Amino acid sequence: MTALVFGLLAVFAAALASPRIPTQPSEVLERLPMRPTDTTARLLSALRAEVSQSAATKPGDPQAAIRLAEQYFELAMARGDPRYVGYADAVIRPFVQSNSAPLWAIRGQLLQYRHGFEAALSSFESALKVDPDFASAHAWRGAIFLVQADYGLAGAECEALHRLGRPALSGACTGLVDAYSGRMEAAIGHFQQALKATDDPGNRLWLLTRTGEVEAWLGRVARAEAAYRQALALGIEDGYLLAAWNDFLLDQKRPDEVVKSLASWESSDGLLLRLALAEKQLALPKAVVHAQVLQDRFAAAKARGDTTHRAEEARFLLNIKNDAQQALQIAAANYEIQREPRDARIVLEAAVAAADARAAKPVLDWLKRSGFEDAKLRELAKALPAGAP
Amino acid sequence: MMKGLRFIVALCMLALAWPVLAHKASDSYLVLKIEGQQVSGQWDIALRDIDFAIGLDADGNGEITWGEVQARHTEITAWALGRLSLQRGGACNVAVAQHLVDEHTDGTYAVLRLAGNCPSSTGDLGLTYRLLFDVDASHRGLLNLELDGIAQTAVLSPEASELRVKAGETSRLAQFFQYVIEGVWHIWIGFDHILFLLSLLLPAVLVFDARRWKGAATFGQALKEVMWVVTAFTVAHSITLTLAALQIVELPSRLVESAIAASVVLAAANNLYPVVQGRRWLVAFSFGLIHGFGFASVLTELGLPRDTLVLSLLGFNVGVETGQLAIVAVFLPLAFWLRDTPFYRKGVFQWGSWLTLVVALVWLVERAFNLKLITA
Repeated sequence: MTALVFGLLAVFAAALASPRIPTQPSEVLERLPMRPTDTTARLLSALRAEVSQSAATKPGDPQAAIRLAEQYFELAMARGDPRYVGYADAVIRPFVQSNSAPLWAIRGQLLQYRHGFEAALSSFESALKVDPDFASAHAWRGAIFLVQADYGLAGAECEALHRLGRPALSGACTGLVDAYSGRMEAAIGHFQQALKATDDPGNRLWLLTRTGEVEAWLGRVARAEAAYRQALALGIEDGYLLAAWNDFLLDQKRPDEVVKSLASWESSDGLLLRLALAEKQLALPKAVVHAQVLQDRFAAAKARGDTTHRAEEARFLLNIKNDAQQALQIAAANYEIQREPRDARIVLEAAVAAADARAAKPVLDWLKRSGFEDAKLRELAKALPAGAP
Repeated sequence: MMKGLRFIVALCMLALAWPVLAHKASDSYLVLKIEGQQVSGQWDIALRDIDFAIGLDADGNGEITWGEVQARHTEITAWALGRLSLQRGGACNVAVAQHLVDEHTDGTYAVLRLAGNCPSSTGDLGLTYRLLFDVDASHRGLLNLELDGIAQTAVLSPEASELRVKAGETSRLAQFFQYVIEGVWHIWIGFDHILFLLSLLLPAVLVFDARRWKGAATFGQALKEVMWVVTAFTVAHSITLTLAALQIVELPSRLVESAIAASVVLAAANNLYPVVQGRRWLVAFSFGLIHGFGFASVLTELGLPRDTLVLSLLGFNVGVETGQLAIVAVFLPLAFWLRDTPFYRKGVFQWGSWLTLVVALVWLVERAFNLKLITA
C-alpha cells in the first residue's frame, strides 16, 4: 500500500516537474506575499525611494539604507521569509566602508542568520566600539553565546544590559542563562519579573513561551500548558511558540491536537515537520505526502549549500525516515554549531537509536558541565549503551 | 526600551532557521548544454523574484496571472539574458526559444528554454552570472552544465559569479586516467584476483610430463604460456565486466564473491592434483568470466558517468590489465630463474598452492555463509 502511494506520488511529482504552457491567460500562477497597496508594501516602496534619492544626493551616507535593511529584516522575522534577508544584505552591501553601530548590528544579524556566529560576534563588538550603549548588540551577543552554550560569556552580556538600565532585557537574558545552566526556578522568577515589567504583547508571548518550556523541563505539565495557553491566547501568530507548544503536545502523546493546531502551517518546514510527526503517530495517510514534501525541501536546501536546517533534518531522518545513523551524523554536525537544549536532545535521541554512545559525548559533557535539568534528556542519557564515556 | 527583547525573540526564531510563512531563499535553476558551438538549456526563475526585480503584477492585486507574465516576456528575456554571459572563443549568442512555467518547492517559476551558438566549437567555456545579485545577496544560481558531454554542477553566488570550465578533451583524458588508476588499484588490493592469477601462473614456468613437474625449457615457452593465461583472463573479465556495468547481466554479489573464492580453490587444487593441463588458458577464461562480475561491483560503487561510459569502462579495463602485467613482470623472471630449485618447487609451488587453497576455502565459507572469519 505504502509502495503504491509512493508510486503515485512519483508519478504526480513527475507530472508536476515537466514545464508547461498555461492555457488560460487568466490562470493565477503565483500569489505574492503582499499587494502594492498594502501598508507594508507602501512603507517599503517609500524607503526604497529614499535609498535611491540618498544615493544621488548623499552618496556614501548609509542612513536610508540602514532603515530599509532594518525594515526588511523585521519582515523576515515576522514572516519567516529568508528572501527578505537577502534583500537587506543587498541594500547595505554598497556601504562596506561605513562604520556605524546600527550598520554593524545589521551585518551581525545577517551573519548569525547564516550561522556565522564568530563573525557575527565580532560585528556586534564593532557596533559596541562605535556606541558602547548599543544595548541590542549586547542582547545579540548574549543570545549567540547561549546558542553556543557559553553561559559565562552570555552572563556577562546580561550584566552589561543590566548596567545599561535595561531591566526587562537583562531579565530575559539572565532567565535564559539560568534555565540553560539548570537553575530552573530562578529562571522562572526572572521571566515572571520581566513579565510584570512589560505590556508589549510580543514580549509577553516570548516570556510566556519560555516559561512553558522551562516548566516542561521541570516535568510540571499543568503549569507548562497554562503558560503556553496564555501565550496562545494573545492571538499572535508566532512560529517559535507554535513549534514549542506542539513539541510539548508530541511529548505528551497528544498528536491529534497537533494535527488540529498546525493544519494550516504546511508552508513552514519546521511546523510541517511537527505536523508530519503527529500524522505518523496517528497513521494518517497525509503523513506520506508530508514526508515527501519535507524531503524535497531538505533536498532544495542542500542544493544551494544551506546547512542551517540540520536540527530539523535530523529529526526528520530519525523519526520519519527511521535512519538513525544518518540522523546522528547530521545532529552531531548541527551540535558543533548550535548547542541549545533542543539541539542536544536530537543528538541523544539519535545516539540512543543508533546505540552509539561515543557520538553523544559532547552532549553528555554539556549535561554534566551545565547542570541542565530536563528529565527527558537525563532519561535519554541513561538509555545510551553501557560504557558511555 | 522593550524593543531590544525582539532581538532575542528574533534570534531564537532564527536559530531554528526555518522559514515560517514563505518558503526558502531565492534560487534559480540553470541547465546548460554546450555541444561544440551549439548552446541549449533551460533556466527556471521564480515568478516572485522576477516580480521583485522588474515587476509582473500589472493590476496590483497581489496575484500573477499567465497573461501578466506573457505581457512581460520581452522584458523578462532582456533582463535575464542581460545577466548571463557565455564565452567560447568570444561571446556566445543566446536567445529564449520558448517561455513556459513550472512548479518548484516554493512556488511557480518562469521557464526559459534557451538556444544559441558560440564562435568556437572547442576550447574552455567562460560563464558569468549576475541574476538578482544587485537586489538579493542571498540569491544563488544552481548550475548544471554539460560541456561536450561532460557534466558538472556549481552554485553561483555574488562571491562566485564567474566560472571557467575546462574544455572536454583534457577532462575526458583526465577521466580516462582516473579510471585507469582505479583499475590498477583494484587489482592490487583485490587479493582474490591476485591469488587466482598467481595460482594459474605458478605452474607456467613448469611442464607436467609423465606425472611429474619439470622446469620449462626456455623462457619463451614460459612467456607464451603466461601470455595465453593472462590474455584469456583479461578477455573473459572484460566481457562480463562490460555486461554487468551496462546492467545487461546482473548477478547477486554473494554468488559472485563465493564463485570467485571457489575459482581460487580450484586453481590452487589443480596445481596440487593436476586435472587440467595444457589448456590452462581455458580455465583462466572460464573463471575470468566470474571475476569480471566482481570488478563490476567496484565500478558500480565508483559510479559510471553515462556520457563517457565506454571511455570509463575502457580505462578501468586498461588499469586492471596494467596492474596484472606489473605483477607478471615481477613474477615471471623470478619464477623462471628459480624454477628448478627446491625452494620454488616445494616452498613456492607446493606450499604456496596449499596456503592459497586454505585461504580461499576460508573465503568461500565466509562468503557463502556470510560469516566473518579472517579479514581480507
